[in-house]
Amino acid sequence: MDDKDLMKKAEAELRDAYDYDPRDPLYGLNKNDLRGTKVSRRTTLRLLAAGGALSMAQLLPGLRATPAMAAGHSGGELNCAWAGVGEITTLDPAQIGQVLQFQIASNVYSGLMHIDSSLVAQGDLAESWEVSEDGLEYTIKLREGVTFHNGDAFNADDVEFTFNRSSDPDQSLHSRVIANVAELQKLNDFEVKFVLKQPQASFLTKALERSSGRAMTIVSRGGLETLGLAQYGLTPIGTGPYMVTDHTLGQAVVLEKFANYYDPERPKIDKITIQPVDGVEPLAAAIEAGDIQYIGGNPVPTQLVSRFEENPNLAVDIKPGPGFQSVWINPWHPAMTVSDFNKPVEELKMEPGFMVRLAIAKALDRDLFITQGRFGYGVPAHGTINPAMGFFFDETLAETSEQAFDPEGAKALMAAAGYPDGAGFPDLKLQTTPNTKRDGQVVANILKVVLGITVIVDPKDFSIGIEEFNKMDIDLRLGGSGGDYDPDDGLVDWMQTTSKFNGPDRDTATKPFGFWSEAESDAAIDEQSVTADPAARRELVQKANAITSNKVACGFLYHPVDVLVHATSVIVPEDARIPGLHELDRISLA
Amino acid sequence: MWPARPLMAAYILRRLVGAALVMLAVATLVFFMIRLVPGDPIAAMLADSGSPEAREAMISRLGLDQPVIVQFWKWFTSMLQGDLGASIYGNNQPVTKILAEALPRTMSLAFISFVIALLIAVPAGILSATRKNTATDTVVSLFAFLGLSMPDFWLAILLIIVFAANLQWLPAIGYVPLSEGFWPWLSHLILPSIAIGTGFSAIIARMIRSSMLEVMQADYMRTAASKGLTMRVQMLRHAFPNALIPVVTVIGIAFALLISGAVVVENVFAIKGLGRVLIQGIQNRDYPVVQGAVLVVSAFFVLANLAVDLLYAVIDPRIRYS
Amino acid sequence: MMSYLPVQDLVQPEVAQKKSRMRSVFGRDRKAQVGLFILGFFVLIAVFAPLIAPFDPNEMSLNMMENPSGTHWLGTDDLGRDLLSRVIWGTQISLFVGVSTVTLALVAGVTLGVLAGYYGGWIDTIIMRYIDLQWAFPNFIIAVYLVAVFGTGLLNVIVAISLAFLDDFARIARSMVLTLKEEQYVDAARVQGFSDARIMFRHILPNALAPLIVQATVSVSYAILGEASLSFLGLGVNPNTPTWGLILADGRSFISQAWWLGVYPGLAIMLVVLAINFVGDGLRDALDVRETG
Repeated sequence: MDDKDLMKKAEAELRDAYDYDPRDPLYGLNKNDLRGTKVSRRTTLRLLAAGGALSMAQLLPGLRATPAMAAGHSGGELNCAWAGVGEITTLDPAQIGQVLQFQIASNVYSGLMHIDSSLVAQGDLAESWEVSEDGLEYTIKLREGVTFHNGDAFNADDVEFTFNRSSDPDQSLHSRVIANVAELQKLNDFEVKFVLKQPQASFLTKALERSSGRAMTIVSRGGLETLGLAQYGLTPIGTGPYMVTDHTLGQAVVLEKFANYYDPERPKIDKITIQPVDGVEPLAAAIEAGDIQYIGGNPVPTQLVSRFEENPNLAVDIKPGPGFQSVWINPWHPAMTVSDFNKPVEELKMEPGFMVRLAIAKALDRDLFITQGRFGYGVPAHGTINPAMGFFFDETLAETSEQAFDPEGAKALMAAAGYPDGAGFPDLKLQTTPNTKRDGQVVANILKVVLGITVIVDPKDFSIGIEEFNKMDIDLRLGGSGGDYDPDDGLVDWMQTTSKFNGPDRDTATKPFGFWSEAESDAAIDEQSVTADPAARRELVQKANAITSNKVACGFLYHPVDVLVHATSVIVPEDARIPGLHELDRISLA
Repeated sequence: MWPARPLMAAYILRRLVGAALVMLAVATLVFFMIRLVPGDPIAAMLADSGSPEAREAMISRLGLDQPVIVQFWKWFTSMLQGDLGASIYGNNQPVTKILAEALPRTMSLAFISFVIALLIAVPAGILSATRKNTATDTVVSLFAFLGLSMPDFWLAILLIIVFAANLQWLPAIGYVPLSEGFWPWLSHLILPSIAIGTGFSAIIARMIRSSMLEVMQADYMRTAASKGLTMRVQMLRHAFPNALIPVVTVIGIAFALLISGAVVVENVFAIKGLGRVLIQGIQNRDYPVVQGAVLVVSAFFVLANLAVDLLYAVIDPRIRYS
Repeated sequence: MMSYLPVQDLVQPEVAQKKSRMRSVFGRDRKAQVGLFILGFFVLIAVFAPLIAPFDPNEMSLNMMENPSGTHWLGTDDLGRDLLSRVIWGTQISLFVGVSTVTLALVAGVTLGVLAGYYGGWIDTIIMRYIDLQWAFPNFIIAVYLVAVFGTGLLNVIVAISLAFLDDFARIARSMVLTLKEEQYVDAARVQGFSDARIMFRHILPNALAPLIVQATVSVSYAILGEASLSFLGLGVNPNTPTWGLILADGRSFISQAWWLGVYPGLAIMLVVLAINFVGDGLRDALDVRETG
């Protein structure tokens, strides 16, 4: 099926997914759809849509005809490297804060539900379930005969234990995920009932999900007692396809096939070693020498990608990445002051502070940045809405935005603001992390060449940098976000006046708002968050996105790509390719 | 000038007490000084996930909300009982555990580096001393100087490129404990140990050379010659052991160099030894870890210097021949 | 019984002796000559860097990681900057760091050591307790900690390394003062009514110079290596200052694609440190200083 058909099918599915009355607590589904041992694709899409978590990136893989892949054999050993990290700090879901950690944890634990790559929400430890008419009660029948890695039997007590643990902010970082649960009832040894305070579309698909959900990832009471909290985070005990047989902090995590996993078909590979590799050369050396055959964890350094692509023993799979990076500009800096973003753009363009702000954004030669900074791997960004968000992404923005690269225009603006060729303009400090220092140098150079201003790159340890960012003690900062699959992830988290990253610790007397505050886009973002109809939602999203772009909420730079590298001897079927995750129990060796 | 034997015990005791005091002083100093370093570890840990409640909970769980003096007292008294607290980072590993895991790595590295250094230095030093001012001497000295002048991290990188990436004879990074096999353990240590040991061997070689030259001219050598012993026996039985004395003093410097060298080399080879733990602790503002690591490193240093002083007192030839 | 001789006459002969010894030894010592020659070469490069460097060291281009060629003798780095120019400018900064840190450490350490040795008593106790504390710690780690407190940047690195290294100078200065304090000419000077400060710095110190000079040369090389290591760990100078250590640190992730990034800067460090070691050795021989532990 070619791209156009694909898109048509996708849009049809989307339309159907959003085709319900928002006041309906069951979102246009009937009880039977929500009961059973499987949630059909159509139903899952509906639930995701209602929960505001549906994205193109999740939709497309299930529609593509996957080429027939030679099936691998069962057994064998796999060596993996987790890139860009020195140690796997913790595998305790209550403490997990990094994507690379739950990439591993997702293979060691089970949740009640698990969404696979074709968007069928499979029951994981939930065998079947029922939802009440008012959408408030979820009765779940648990799978029997499941054991933990230490031999303990799994039953409803474990669900209760996990729930209580996760609800306590002292014990878990993720208590918010289940904040909507009024109570959890144990009906019998293998049946529980969640009673919600309000209908929640994403309950089955997000809150109970095993990987990113984390709140209801089932932990082992016995394991915690025997090992103690600290050791449990290193060598956890779960019910998942793999058990952790060895892990010293800073050394490799060794996973071995759990013989008593409830699904006899999985996992395929017997033993998987995950070595954290912090450094570019060692990573390249290791995979090229064949010491490792699979790379997970943080993104593969872009300078290595073309080299891996040319290597006949390696397979490289590139997908659009869900995220954005930009240059944040402090609107309270004396030379760049913008005290009111609500004025129309034409009026703003007459203020020197905004002129400078726009000049900086216009001077960003994004293509050059991607070539020089990212070795060609990336997509220019003009807003937080990224290509992985499918049809929400606005391709025309690259041309229509005020921020589009325009060196002449940028220079003219600087001159009009009173700084022809940057003369007399104060030096600016561009804060980066040690890892993004190089990107910062490319940006600083671009700004120097186009505008003639001096930008000093200021790499800071994250612990210092984040303090300064939250207090707004900076001029410019290079930063952004990843893992954004839904417009909410970009817009709500970053672009609203009340966003959690919008200068929360600033001195509100001298700085009434953070980095950006605009009423019209605030309203549009609020509305799109609860809008069901995809077409209407897209309009609102793109409207808000355009405002943030034209009025320079920040200088948007690029969208990264998602690169998977593995040896050709490793077979990674499409259903193991869930964005952001590594379904190790589905991959096999040739 | 040198303590006579019966007073040796008193001397040792005094030095030990002094060493303990120094370590306590260092520990106290560092406790307060690490808190001078700007940066908020909690903000860094909770950057993405975490509400104000979670932050409050974490701060109180880690005891960071109490006045500094109270924190110090708690830490100090626990330390005297052998409990160094827990890392405030992610997994809250006990500091003693972190250090207990890091120590064997640095020690293995130091040991193999030392062996490699001696393997190079002893023959080189003796050779250039006995063939003083000949071509051999010049060549050997030149290599010694080169080894001394090479930055250890540079050598480390070059070794990785040649032996790990290109020839693929040895692994590029990581550490394998001895319990998993001798060769795996050793193979991971060879490259980093060469990186550290080379500079070190240069120092030792030069020391051996210069002290052998001194000794070969000294009075008691002439005494031995007058006894009619052959050149070779003289060398082995008298010159060399006596020449080792100044080398012993170098052992004190050795630990300084090994640990400083280890810091950077551990970084390049991604080995989580003491140096790496310390540096990462400072970068993460992980106070308990830094305090614990500082204590251990300074303990080594102080004890090493103490051992050197004592050894010196024991094996000085003037005592033996008197 | 002491004859009344002007103090200068008692002092001068020793210093003059040493000066002529230096000249004669350097005249003969091939190694030291080579060292001086190499050092001189680098100093020239450092001084004339702006004139010699073919490109601006921070000028980026799209010729990323190009092999050494006619235009770029040492190739380019991952941001298209000319490596030769960066190494040339690096000479200036690295030598500057080496000399300034040692100067600071020397001045501070010697002052402390002389005060402690000369006055003795509680001044000695306080100063030496602190020096002992610092001595209980590898210098490099002290430097790392200081950079963490002060922040990165050239100035902070210089201060951090100076503070970290001053214990070496303090100890030497103190032990020399303790020895020399009993010399004849010191008593003579005291009898003549010279002030303490004058005695310390005009009479005792010049004779204590020999081991201090040797230590200084050793410390310069350690300072250069220290800055390189700090920059390598990302704790050193700002990204726009091309020191050799920084060039190595930045190039580390690209070594297998651009080996020149890993070879030339390291080679430069090695040659300068080598030259300093040769010269230091020559000085040690000339001034007849024993190796101190």
